Amino acid sequence: MTVTLEPSLGDVHAVVEEVWSSFLGAEEPILPLATPMPPGGWSAAITVSGGWDAQITVNLTDGAAQAVTSTMLMCPVEDCSDEDLRDALGELVNMVGGNVKSLMAGSAVLSLPLVGHGDISPGSHLVEVCRLELTWRGEPVVVTVHLPPTADPS
Amino acid sequence: MKILVVDDSRVMRQIVIRTLRQSGHGGHDIVEAENGREGLEAVQREAPDLVLSDWNMPEMSGIDFLTTLRGSGGTVPFGFVTSEGSPAMRAQAEAAGAAFLIAKPFTPESFDEALGAVLGAHP
Repeated sequence: MTVTLEPSLGDVHAVVEEVWSSFLGAEEPILPLATPMPPGGWSAAITVSGGWDAQITVNLTDGAAQAVTSTMLMCPVEDCSDEDLRDALGELVNMVGGNVKSLMAGSAVLSLPLVGHGDISPGSHLVEVCRLELTWRGEPVVVTVHLPPTADPS
Repeated sequence: MKILVVDDSRVMRQIVIRTLRQSGHGGHDIVEAENGREGLEAVQREAPDLVLSDWNMPEMSGIDFLTTLRGSGGTVPFGFVTSEGSPAMRAQAEAAGAAFLIAKPFTPESFDEALGAVLGAHP
């Protein structure tokens, strides 16, 4: 049976806050404050397939992506390579996606994360059902959940 | 005591090792591997006293790693450190022979709680 329930905005927000407070410092919380996202930046996405199909994506500016990597590795920004950045952002979306998946009923499989500089557009068969516009260290962070459109029972 | 940390993410391996220290379990030898297949080789080569493994990895997943390990007679205590902590995954981990499952994001306290019994038995 395919489960097409949507995660609530509040649940996704709670997951993101827990990831940020645990691994990126509780003293610098991620704030529920929309800040304009400039073009470019980094995207990290992960898909869920099986009983519940979805794509969870985190978009960050270059500055926020570098700060995430530097904080997770506990090293200066200038010492973080692009490989480190891809690794850190992949873990970030892996944690957000894995915890969102755990909220949903049905058995499903989490993909490996995909990280890139620029937009990672979800498949055209998916629609955005949840969008969190947040701010961390003055930089915008956007978390989205995309699902297949609900099937018409008729 | 020797602990094998298996995760395809170098960042996460560093965080796990850091959290071991923060939770009061920092005095052990640490060995690292990047996926389940390398983990199996490291178990053979290093004979660790505890394995901490991610679940979702390329080459060989953590659950396949554990199943193969137990299938070949390996009895080393094994715990998952993974982003998915649903009841279904915890049940699957336990059925395969895992001692515990720590869900990411974790804290030093959750590490100490899960590892205490296993590490206490191997001073």
